[in-house]
Order: sequence, then structure tokens, then C-alpha cells
Amino acid sequence: MPEISGYAFPNDVHVHWSLMIVMYPYITGFVAGAFIVTALYHLFGKKEFEPVARLALATSFCFMAIATFPLNLHLGHPERSLNVIVTPHFSSAMAGFGLLYSAYFVILLLEVWFVYRREIIETARRSRGLKRAFYASLALGTYDTSPEALEIDHRAVKVLSAFGLPAACMLHGYVGFIFGGIKANPWWSTPLMPVIFLLSAAVSGIALLVLLHQVTARLWRRPVERETVQAMARWLWFFLILTVTLELLEIVLLAYENSDAWHIISQLLTTRLEFSFISIQMIVGSLVPFILLAIIVTMNRYLHDRVRNTLAVVASLLLLVQVFAMRWNVVIGGQLLSKSFRGLRSGYQPELFHREGVLVAIGLFVLPFALLWVFDRVLPIEPASAPPEAGRGPAPEQEPARRTA
Amino acid sequence: MEAARHVFRVLFLLLVVVVVFAIGRTFLVPPSYGAYGPYRFDNVAEQAAIRLPQHGGAASCGACHAERLKVSSAGAHRAVGCEVCHAPVALHVRDGAKAADMPIDRSFTLCARCHRRIEGRPTAFPQIVLAQHQGGVEGTACIDCHDPHSPKL
Repeated sequence: MPEISGYAFPNDVHVHWSLMIVMYPYITGFVAGAFIVTALYHLFGKKEFEPVARLALATSFCFMAIATFPLNLHLGHPERSLNVIVTPHFSSAMAGFGLLYSAYFVILLLEVWFVYRREIIETARRSRGLKRAFYASLALGTYDTSPEALEIDHRAVKVLSAFGLPAACMLHGYVGFIFGGIKANPWWSTPLMPVIFLLSAAVSGIALLVLLHQVTARLWRRPVERETVQAMARWLWFFLILTVTLELLEIVLLAYENSDAWHIISQLLTTRLEFSFISIQMIVGSLVPFILLAIIVTMNRYLHDRVRNTLAVVASLLLLVQVFAMRWNVVIGGQLLSKSFRGLRSGYQPELFHREGVLVAIGLFVLPFALLWVFDRVLPIEPASAPPEAGRGPAPEQEPARRTA
Repeated sequence: MEAARHVFRVLFLLLVVVVVFAIGRTFLVPPSYGAYGPYRFDNVAEQAAIRLPQHGGAASCGACHAERLKVSSAGAHRAVGCEVCHAPVALHVRDGAKAADMPIDRSFTLCARCHRRIEGRPTAFPQIVLAQHQGGVEGTACIDCHDPHSPKL
């Protein structure tokens, strides 16, 4: 049984929003974060992001495809979840989900289609039988790959990115809005919440792509692009600074106001969340990556490629942990304090084998990567080029085939 | 325009999806949805009709267990319904006859729900610190010592 300290109401004992509600913003964060990377290339013309633009789009798509899973695992009646899509309304933040999710998913689908259209057509032309029928139907029966048509594709991707970026931000900002709009809970109720959620989403998305870029480069025997790693480290550093600044700002403001809520929040942070907030989120997950990324950004000239890659990978891994810790501290932390503002319950430990337990959460995190593999089978993420030499040994150094969408 | 044919196709497909959704929605949204707010109002009457009452209250228990009811009505638990610790009467009695044994929750956690020490409870209310009561009662059954029908020792 959870222990209670201080003055708590008897109905403040249970943590209703479990590990799955921690996983949901974590996963949707990757959706928005990865899309930001895609948009940096397609919309803002950051050429150094070209090697990861398609990977980012695919990542965003795969995480989006399973974003509803944690929520459905949490619901007592998951079969009713479609009702929110059929009858959306805006009197409740949650009931707006259907519109926001569907709108962004459509934009994402269209963008994937326009980016891959040429390859879909080429694959259809090369194939026979069922495979041909599949790719032909994917191409909607038009086989136009003339320069004019490709130029239109290019423009369409730009337009979709322009719509997709605010849509992705709204989808994830709205997750933060749900917490920010709960006025009974001083740890949640702040207008900063959507912004913090969104910025940490950018952090987790870019960090994940730093890792995926390194991994896929090894898998596909492509060189790791120096400029790309550098640029991603720069943007990661920028978003990390913004996120941590706002996360701290929220707490500093609470402390400075010294309102009645601070009495309990200060206790919460220094007792129940001491490990997950101070040690993990702030020191291991923020300060250390900040220093590592600062080295990449400020001392770039003196760094050997391998050192830069290692620093970026370590920082990114720590940032993935940091963002998870942030989600945990918000979602779970907000349920450990009593609404009396004068008591706390003991920490929450998720079960291992439960429907909302640890194993399922790990499975949920692995699933998008499995989907990414499937995605890559159907629509190759890396533009085709000469196949690497068979056998062991590094592939001959070559410029990866550049492909603009 | 010729080069943009695929764009028109995808837009047309999107239009089809939207139309199908709009038409499908008219079938999917129940008629009484929105009558009194964003929920299906018919559900209220349906639940009332399909659900037989599960709980009978103390009086329904007293029909067979008059002695027990007398004891518990005089004890400190008189305000606690029988079905808090025993299962709802519908599991036990059907059509006026016993249908199955009555399941009973004998766990200490059930008692702790009301009687563990929490600052937020009224001070006059009997509360124990689980770890200190009789050298710790975690995992033991309170009803080994207390009669739940009349818990005063």
C-alpha cells in the first residue's frame, strides 16, 4: 500500500495516470521532434539535414502510427476510443484529440507520399505481379515522373511541411495543454506546460535522429555526414537550452512566488522526485549533455570525427533518458502530492507484467523501430545507390546518392 | 496542369475519404448524442433498464441473516454497508434463493482503506499506523482479532 505523509485526503492515494500516460507524451514527442528535423530541411532549406530528412519523416510516421497504443492500453474500454474521432468537440481538451490526430496524420501521409512518389513509380515499373499492383495502387495509377511533375512534388512537400509543422506542434502542444489546463494541480497548472512539452519533444526527436543517423550509417555502410552531426548537435543544444531554461523557470517562479503550492512542490522535488528530477532530469540528463554538446558546438574545429560522433551519441542517449524523466516527473509527480497541498504519497512503482506495466512500455518503445524496418522494406529510406561490396570490410568510400524530394 | 494530375488524384482521394467519413459519421453518431451534452443520452435509460440492481443494502441481507444484522446494527460498523466487505447480494442470492457462496474480502487492505492513519481523516475516527499496530499488520488479517460486525475489542 502506498504510504502517506503529511495531511492528505483519503482519495489522494491512487495514481490513476499510470506508466502508459508517461509513454504517450514520450512517443508523441518523437513524432513532433522528428517532424521538426524534416521541416528544417524541406521548409527552411537547411541542406545539412538532407541525409536525415527522409529518415526523420519515416521516424515521425512510425511513431505516429502507434501513438494511440499507450492510450488504448490505459483505457478500460479501448473499443470506445474511436468515438472521440467520430464525435469530437472542443469543450474538453481530450475530446479534441480526434481532429488534431487525424489532421496531422493526413498531412504526414501526404508528405510521405509526395516524398516517395518517384520511387514508388520506379518500383512499380520494375516489378511484376502483386508487387507491381501494390506499388501501382500506391502511385494512384499516375506514372508521371517528368521534371515538371517532380517540381510539383517538391512544392507540395514544402507546402505540406508548412502545414505539418504547426500541426505537429499543435498535436504535441495539446498534450501539454491537457496537463497545463488542470487547475487543481499546482505542479501541472501552468501555461508553460504546452511549450515545455513541445520543446522537450524537439529535444527527444533530434536526439533520436542523431542516434538513428549513426546506426543506419553503419547498417547501410554509408559515411556519417560530418555537417549533419554538427548541425544536429547545434540544434539539439539550442532546444536543450530552451527546454531546461523553461523547466527551471517554472520552478524558480514557483519558488519566488512562494505560494502555498510551493510548500508541497519543494518537498515533492526534494523527496519523492529527488532521484528522477534532480539527479536524472537535471544533472545527468541536462547538465552533462549540455556540456558534451557545448564541446561539439564550440570546439568543433579541433574534434576528430569519431570524437564528435561519440559525444553526440552519448549526449543523445542521455537526452532520451532526460525527456523520459521529464514526462515521468510531470505525469507521475503531479499525482504524488495531495490536493490539500500538505501531504504526499509514497512513490509509484509500475508493475512488470501488467497491461500498463514496464514490459509493455518497453515493447511500445521498440515497436516503432520494428515499423521503421518494415517501412524501409516497402519504401527504402536511403535512396538507392550502388550496392556495397559483398563480404566483410568497409564499403568503398562514396558520396551517398543525393536525392531531393 | 498535365504535370499536376497526380495532385488532383490525391486531392480527389482525400475528398472521397472526407465524404465517406461525413456519411459514415451520420450512421455512427447515435441519434440521442448531443441532446443534453456531448454524450449519448439514451445510454442513461439503457443502463437503468439492462442492469439489474446488484446491491440490496442491509435490509436485503437481514431477510436471512437477521441475527447478524442485529449485531452489526448495534456495533461501530452500523454505518458500513454489508456489501462493502461482502460481495453484492446479487452474486449470492437469485430469485429469493441462495445461488452461490458469498465471497468475502478478508484482506487487511480493505480495512486499511478506512482505518490506516491518514492526517486528512477526522481525528475522532479510529485509525492505526499499519507498521506499529500490534508490531505491524501488513499482510495479516485484521479480522483475526476484530469481529468486523462489531469491531470494538
